[in-house]
Amino acid sequence: MAGKSITKVTRKKAAGRGSSRLSANGARASAAKWVGQPIRRKEENRLVSGKGIFVDDEKMPGMLHIRFVRSSYAHAKIARIDVSKAGKFPGVVCTLTGAEIKKQVQPFIEIGPGGAQKIADYPMAVDKVVFQGEPVAAVVAETRFAAEDAAELVEADYEPLPPVVTAEDALKDESLLHPAMGTNRNWHGVFEYGDVEKAFQQAAHVVHIGRLHFHRFSSTPLECNVILANWDPRSGDIEYHCNNTFPSFASQFLAPALGVRIDQIHMKSFDIGGGFGIKITSYPYMAACALASRKAGGRAVKWVETRIEHMQASAHGNERTFLDTRVALDKNGVILAIDSKHVDDCGAFPRYEPLGCVIWAQVLPATYRVKNIRIAMRQVVTNKCPVGPNRGYSRMQHLWFMERVMDICGQALGIPADEMRVRNYIRKNEMPYKTPNGCVYDSGDYASMLAMAKKLVGWDEWKKKQAAARKEGRWIGLGIGSTLDSGTNNFGQARIINPDAPFSGQSKVGIVKLDIYGEVVVSMGSVPQGQGHETAAAQVVADALNITPDLVNVRPGFDTAHNAYTGHTGTYASQFAVTGLSAIHGAAIKLRKELSRLAAWKLQAKEKDLEFGVGAQGPEVRVKGRQKAINYWALANLVNVNNAGMPESLWDITLNCRHVFHANFQIPDVKRKYGNLTLTYAAQIHAAVVEVDRETFQPKILAYACVDDCGKAVNPRIVEGQVHGAAAHGIGAALLENCGYDSDGNLLAATFSDYTPITAVNIPELLYGHMESPSPFTLNGAKGMGEGGAAPVHTICAALQDALYSSGVIIDDSHNTGDSLFHTMQKAESGAYKGMVRVEHRRAAR
Amino acid sequence: MYAAPFSYHRATSVQEAVKLLQELGEEARVIAGGQSLIPLMKMRMARPTALVDINPISSLREIETSKGELRFGALVRHADLEHSAAGATVPIIHDCAAGIADVQVRDQGTIGGSLAEADPSGDWGTALLALETSVVCFGPDGQRTVPLEEFIQDAFTTALAHDEIVTAVHVKVPPKGSAGAHLAFKRSAPVYPTASASAQLTLEDHNRCKEVRIVLGCVGLTAIRAKEAEAALRGKLLDEKNIRAAVEAARAAADPQSDMRGSADYKRMLAGALVKRAIGIAARRARGESVEAGHEYVGR
Repeated sequence: MAGKSITKVTRKKAAGRGSSRLSANGARASAAKWVGQPIRRKEENRLVSGKGIFVDDEKMPGMLHIRFVRSSYAHAKIARIDVSKAGKFPGVVCTLTGAEIKKQVQPFIEIGPGGAQKIADYPMAVDKVVFQGEPVAAVVAETRFAAEDAAELVEADYEPLPPVVTAEDALKDESLLHPAMGTNRNWHGVFEYGDVEKAFQQAAHVVHIGRLHFHRFSSTPLECNVILANWDPRSGDIEYHCNNTFPSFASQFLAPALGVRIDQIHMKSFDIGGGFGIKITSYPYMAACALASRKAGGRAVKWVETRIEHMQASAHGNERTFLDTRVALDKNGVILAIDSKHVDDCGAFPRYEPLGCVIWAQVLPATYRVKNIRIAMRQVVTNKCPVGPNRGYSRMQHLWFMERVMDICGQALGIPADEMRVRNYIRKNEMPYKTPNGCVYDSGDYASMLAMAKKLVGWDEWKKKQAAARKEGRWIGLGIGSTLDSGTNNFGQARIINPDAPFSGQSKVGIVKLDIYGEVVVSMGSVPQGQGHETAAAQVVADALNITPDLVNVRPGFDTAHNAYTGHTGTYASQFAVTGLSAIHGAAIKLRKELSRLAAWKLQAKEKDLEFGVGAQGPEVRVKGRQKAINYWALANLVNVNNAGMPESLWDITLNCRHVFHANFQIPDVKRKYGNLTLTYAAQIHAAVVEVDRETFQPKILAYACVDDCGKAVNPRIVEGQVHGAAAHGIGAALLENCGYDSDGNLLAATFSDYTPITAVNIPELLYGHMESPSPFTLNGAKGMGEGGAAPVHTICAALQDALYSSGVIIDDSHNTGDSLFHTMQKAESGAYKGMVRVEHRRAAR
Repeated sequence: MYAAPFSYHRATSVQEAVKLLQELGEEARVIAGGQSLIPLMKMRMARPTALVDINPISSLREIETSKGELRFGALVRHADLEHSAAGATVPIIHDCAAGIADVQVRDQGTIGGSLAEADPSGDWGTALLALETSVVCFGPDGQRTVPLEEFIQDAFTTALAHDEIVTAVHVKVPPKGSAGAHLAFKRSAPVYPTASASAQLTLEDHNRCKEVRIVLGCVGLTAIRAKEAEAALRGKLLDEKNIRAAVEAARAAADPQSDMRGSADYKRMLAGALVKRAIGIAARRARGESVEAGHEYVGR
């Protein structure tokens, strides 16, 4: 699959200053030797040779297995649940019902303000079910077979209620999911910046766009949710082996619900088979497993989610509908203002939501200079699986909307897609660029990225081929997708959602220590799921100590016992390259300082005369230009085993250095919805050529190019892999993957046969290009990346639009298949798209 | 995803298999490649009380050619056929075998199991109906040979008695000047097609259709012989007008249902498009051209 690739590095002088400014204790980062190298991943051998340790590989003595009984209805009152037959099944230890656990727990915290606080979200449904697959009871047994057999004996009767399936249905408020909230509308806010009305008055053209819809899809990680919980009756502590990827968030939801102190929750993960954000909201199942363990007398309980359970009842990505869009443009097609109403559908329970109602605003103007924006954002609950942060979370929906606006306006005004973008992109010389809502785009050169993408894909040649193919009646389109991957979020943006939200900023922890025999050991405050954190961490520490990455032992996985966590700890929001590595770097610099002080004493030298390196006896500190050196074993020995005679002035040295990285954030202005919401902005520009088969209507990718710029790439091999993965995910979303529901709220894609997740054979050759615009705000100029902003969804929609526009088609949905395009063409023939886009040409005021 | 309880039995001869089926009763099932049965059991959509594993019967894995007939043992894997001389001689067999699901399924799934399951979306039921195919069944009264048309009776229903097993599939080698194509359109590699079509053509005078079979898959309760479509071509020139008439007739013969693979009207349209392509490819092959064909999905 590896295609040709090109790399261009744009270096900024500011980057060097930035890196020294951000180093711990004011120490300058040593020259990068390993950072920036495409070294092979340290994790690879373990993972590809079957030596990974996943939660399902973990066993505990006396371990039991839990099976959930789930609702087949999307919306119904629970009339009766009878677990008595199941309870008597051989091998069953206990059962649980929602009504029973309601007496033992508090409902989970709700982030939303006002009525949303009245939503009662319990680990299992109590008196009504609000989505298909919601757990209503559970069976705990000695074996998984017994649990599954007994679960079939649980009797449940329901009284169906009218299901609320679409956002438009939810807005009617005719059938309520959470009667205590009094409405299905759980959040609303208007994001308005600049002078929107004035811009419309001055416009040369106003384009009105009808309903656009971003579909619901998910991530389908290879490993589903897995939880092993043990609530020890002696200590009252709960131990979790679990693949939740944001354990600090989960703990803060679990502790008050279960009535334990946060320090009583012990979380561990080793290897995780993918997450993409979708495992962040597994905490209701974590609570249920803990309660089951307690009821079983303190025996450990394991839950291994099946794929059908995962599809029905873990989490999906947010679905969003864009209504009543108006765009003001000047005579050159430069967008002056956008006015639109967005309705986000978060499924049955908000959980991580309504944070998505502000997170999109990290990329408010997308890659464009538009200054005047008014977006009324609303979120509703529906009888569908609750959403969770899904790779590209909340920004991709908005970026898709902005790209559709760009293409629809361009086509309406006869301006080519590439030209439209170049006229509207934020310029390189405007960086760092302050957006209308106070975010700061750190660096980037979108026009050059587009030029690179066009070159890679062969844009100009395809334009000629397209013209010739059109004469033969073929439907070939060229499309561009511009996307941003905003990373390192400021949790202060939650205040825009709920002014009382008690969190803000961003932090991560890293620990670097010398163990007793002088081993360099790193504990990360991250929860890696395949992103190569061990490798990147080793590269950073190797540079800080002037050793090699193979001499750096990075502990895989996450463990609260390592003490490398804060309340922000997790792996989400494209940030490890910035937050995780800065924390680890800070800790390495602290360790370096301690080693330096210790060596100066032992070698009777001045610290400024010392240098770090690898000698004949391993990593060492030596006196420059002389034969005097002390290796790490001897240094560790001095502190840990052999410390008689050490001067008191060195007693503060622990060789166990912990550093907390803080991003320099302020709390946003809640009233104006204004402030810096994210630290870095990686970008991807994709270009594609797509043909729609005239006989089968199947879209086929003829050429595909991805260009990324994530600042300084810590490990270009890992970056390219992430770009490929995100591109695959996006192509899957665009052409294959759809969590469709029928009008009764039945999920139509509960198995892979129906969901058809993308696999290697569906992926076209990806041509790859890379640029580096270092961030002035981070260590080494790196930016977080990996989410990819669903660039292929934007790109493929743009190409389809280009292919079919002359047939009267407006691509108004993010998901397109042969079947849907067949109907799209029928709609176009009946003139259904005629009123969807309306252009008012005005005399320009200027 | 654990199956309901069942007992497991290995048969080392067809006689033993039949005996086990008789002893174990109506709820016992034969397992061959298990590529459909095991997932269904894991989802508890199939709950056999006993499985009779016929894989130890090695004689059922053979491919023979005899008296103008290709004889496939019931346990011949899709992958065996993909790489067999039979596939090279009769291209429609290669088209079908090479595109069924993914590599893992093709390595395990069997031709006998596929026909015995009679899934209306299965590929073999469609492709082999375009040829002269018979199914050899073995039961308490010995062996009988059933034409494929009579073997598959309805969706998931065959002429097999409970205590009978499929032992072989016999396919008559088409005459010189005859060639076919099997085309399937699916969303991604591992899934069943949205629609499929097979055509087998015998040409005379380069462009006149002497004999033809056209079969539609996935658009009815069984594979559908589109006999009106065949009539539109039989004895006629393969020109645009006649092909169009055949395509129209094929579309009319389709009886699809809407599901996640596609809406009914899309499947009907697709069936027509695939028939048109299958006729075109079959005709080119009949003229001696080498043409690639088979399963199509996103990315291929």
